[in-house]
Amino acid sequence: MRVGAPPGPARDQAVARVLGRRRYRLNRLIEALCVAATVLGVLLLASILLTLIWRGAAGLSVSVVTQSTRPPGSNGGLLNAIVGTLIQTGIGTLIGTPIGLLVGTYLAEYGGHSPMAHAVRFVSDVLLSAPSILIGLFIYQLVVQPFGGFSGIAGCLALAVIVIPIVVRTTEDMLQLITPTLREAAVALGAPKWKVIVLICYRAAKDGIITGVLLAIARIAGETAPLLFTSLGNLNWSISLTRPMASLPVTIYQYAGSAFDDWVELAWVGALLITMGVLATNILARVALRGRRTS
Amino acid sequence: MSETMSQAHDQQTNWGVSRPDTENTVARIAVRGLDFYYGNNQALKHVDLDFPDRKVTGVIGPSGCGKSTLLRVLNRMYDLYPGQRATGEVLLDGENIIAPDVDVNALRARIGMVFQRPTPFPMTVYENIAFGVKLHERLSKAEMDDRVEWSLTRGALWGEVKDRLHASAMELSGGQQQRLCIARTIAVRPEVILLDEPTSALDPISTLKIEELIDELKNDFTIAIVTHNMQQAARCADRVAFFYLGEMIEVAPAVQMFTAPRERRTQEYITGRFG
Amino acid sequence: MSDTPDHVVKSYDQELKRLRSMMTQMGGIVESQVALAAEAIMHRDAAAATRAVEEDPKVDALEREIETFVIRLLALRQPVADDLRGIVAALKITGDLERIGDYAANVAKRSIVLAQFSLPYSLAGVAHLAHLVQQQLKSIIDALGDNDADKAMEVWRSDLVVDDIYNAIFRELITYMMEDPRNITPCTHLLFIAKNLERIGDHATNIAENLYYAVRGETLPDARPKGDTSAYAVVRPRE
Repeated sequence: MRVGAPPGPARDQAVARVLGRRRYRLNRLIEALCVAATVLGVLLLASILLTLIWRGAAGLSVSVVTQSTRPPGSNGGLLNAIVGTLIQTGIGTLIGTPIGLLVGTYLAEYGGHSPMAHAVRFVSDVLLSAPSILIGLFIYQLVVQPFGGFSGIAGCLALAVIVIPIVVRTTEDMLQLITPTLREAAVALGAPKWKVIVLICYRAAKDGIITGVLLAIARIAGETAPLLFTSLGNLNWSISLTRPMASLPVTIYQYAGSAFDDWVELAWVGALLITMGVLATNILARVALRGRRTS
Repeated sequence: MSETMSQAHDQQTNWGVSRPDTENTVARIAVRGLDFYYGNNQALKHVDLDFPDRKVTGVIGPSGCGKSTLLRVLNRMYDLYPGQRATGEVLLDGENIIAPDVDVNALRARIGMVFQRPTPFPMTVYENIAFGVKLHERLSKAEMDDRVEWSLTRGALWGEVKDRLHASAMELSGGQQQRLCIARTIAVRPEVILLDEPTSALDPISTLKIEELIDELKNDFTIAIVTHNMQQAARCADRVAFFYLGEMIEVAPAVQMFTAPRERRTQEYITGRFG
Repeated sequence: MSDTPDHVVKSYDQELKRLRSMMTQMGGIVESQVALAAEAIMHRDAAAATRAVEEDPKVDALEREIETFVIRLLALRQPVADDLRGIVAALKITGDLERIGDYAANVAKRSIVLAQFSLPYSLAGVAHLAHLVQQQLKSIIDALGDNDADKAMEVWRSDLVVDDIYNAIFRELITYMMEDPRNITPCTHLLFIAKNLERIGDHATNIAENLYYAVRGETLPDARPKGDTSAYAVVRPRE
C-alpha cells in the first residue's frame, strides 16, 4: 500500500520563501524584546546594588560591628541589631524547618490525594503568600499579649511561621520528584516505610530541601513587619529572648525615617549588610551544593 | 543400564548444555488460583504457575497481559498501593505469602526484585550494597566488607568498582548501575530473584553481560524474568510461560515453546502474527 | 493452515510464500524428470531421456537458490515455532528433491544403454515400480504445496509397498542373470535402475517425514516401515 504525496496543491516555493522570511523577522523581534527586558531588569538590579554599595560603604567602619545602637550624635553602631537578626533568624529557622519538613513529608509520602492532604496543602499555600504583618499580629495575640510584653522569642516564632510554608512546599516538591521506582527498590529490599523516607528519600532530595531552607533564611532575614509586633526592637544591647530584641530590618526602619544624619547613614549600612548577607547565603548554597552534586 | 552408564547417557543427550529439558525439579514458588485486581479491574485470572527451584522461568506476553503484575504479587509490592488486591495462594515453601499476617519485610529479604530502570541509591557503591544487608543483619565491618565484595563479584561488577567503592553510585554507567542493583539484591542472600524487564533500558552489550550473569546466578537462586523481548526469553529461560489478557495460556520448556508450542495463541504471538 | 493469521510484517509472509513457490517449482521439475525417465525406459525414448538429463542443472541451481534464501531467512527473521520448522524443513526437503532429480537423470542415462538390448522378459515389474514411485512423488509434492500432514503420513506409509516390489524385481533379475550370461549387462542396468527408483521412493518418504514435522511439530515414529530386504537376499540357483 503506497501512501504517496498528501492531498492538496504542490508546495509553492515563492509562498514558502515569504513565510520563511516572516518567521525569521518575528524570531529576531522576540529575541530583541527578550534582550531589552533582560537589560532593563539587570539595570534596575544593578542600580539598586550600586546605590546600596555607594551609600552603605560610606558609613562602614569598625564601630558598626563593635558598637550597639546609640542615641544620635554618639558614635553608635549596629552590633545589637546584627546579633539580634542572627539570633532570631537562626532560632526561627530551627523551629520552622523541622515542622515544615515533617508536614512536607506527610504530604508527599502519606497524604497523597486525601481530603486532609488537600486541606493542609491549601492552608500552607495561603500562609506562603500571606502578608507577613498579619503573621506578626497573630503572634502578638498569641504570645505578646498573654505574656505581657514584646520579646525575642515572639520574634523567633513569627519568623518560624514564615519559614514553615516555604519548607513545606520545597520538601513536598523535592520528594515528589523522586521516581517511584527508587522507593520501590528500597521497599523490595525489605525496608519499612519510614526507613525508605529517612534513608533514601531524604538523601535523594537533600539538595533541593537544603536550597529551600536557605531560601527561607534569606527571606526571613529581611522581614520587618512581623518583628514590629513581636520583638519590637531594642536600642540597647540585649540577647535575652524574654525581652524585646533589636534586628537589622527594624533598626533600618527606625533610622531611615529619622531626621538624624548619622542614623540615616547607619540605615544605609544596615541595608547593605542585609543585602550582602543574603547574597552570601545564596552563593554559599550554590557552591556547597555544586561540590556535592553528582552526574 | 547401570548407574554410571545412565549418567553418561544423560550427559550425552544434554550435550553439556546448561539447560537440560528434564523437568523433575521442585517448585520453589507455587502460584495457585491467583486473582489480582486493580480496583474493579481484574488483571490476573486464576493463575496456576510453578517457579522451579534454581531454574529461570520466563514470562512473556503482549502489553497489558499481566506479566509485570504477576511478578509484583510475588514480593507483595502491590501493598504499597491501596486499591490493589490479590486473592488465591502464592506458596513459598508451603506458606501462603499473600495472607495478611505475613511479615512483608522479611519476605522481601527472601524474594528480591530488580526493576526495568537501574535505581542506584544516592550513596556510595559500598553503601548501596550495605543498605539492604543492614536492614536484616548485624555484621561487623570486616564481615560487611566481605559481603560487599562477594555481592559485587557475583554481580560481575567487582573488577570495575573495587577501586571506587566509596565513590557515588550515580557515576556508574547504565549497565554498571543495573549490575549494581542486581548485586544489591543478592547481597541479602534471597532465595528468589525477580527480574522485571531488566535489560529494556540498556544497550546490547550490557544486555548480554546481564544475560550471562543470569546464567551464572541460576546455579544458586531461583529466577523469574519478565521480558517483552522473546529472543531474550529464548536465550535465558529454562521454562517460559505465555500470558494473554491476564490468563496464563501455556507454560513449557523454552525449547518446546519456541519450536512447537501447543496453543494456537502462543504460536501466533511468538511468530509475530498478533494483529 | 489457512486459519492462521498473517504475520504483522507483510514482507515476512511474502518471503515465506516465495520459499514455498520455489519448492513447488523444484518439485514440478523433478516430477517431470522422473516421468521422462520412466517414459525413456518403457518406450525406449532417447529424446525423453535426454530431456530428463537436461533438466538436472535447473534443479541444482534451484537447490542452491533455496539454500541461500533459507540462510537469509534464518539470519534476518529469527524464525520460531512453525516458521522455524517450515524453513528448516525446506532446507532438508530441497536436498531430497535434488537427489531425486539426480537419480532420475541416472535412470534416464541408463535407459539409453538399455535400449540397445532386446529384452526377452517383461519390464512390467519395473514399470509398476516406476508408476508407484511417481505416484508417491506426486502426492508428496502436492502435500508440500498444501502443507498437508495427513497426505504426508500416507506417503510415509506407502514406502513399504515400494520396497516389496523392489525386492521382487531384485530376485527376478538375479534369476534372469543366472539363467543366461548374456542377460547380465542389461539386467545389471535394470538392477541399478530399479535401485534408483526405490531410492527415489525413499527420498519421497524423507520429504514426507520432514513435512510432517514442519506442520505438526512432532516427528513420525523412528521405525519407518522398511521393507527393503534386498541387502539380505540370497538367491540360490535352481539345480
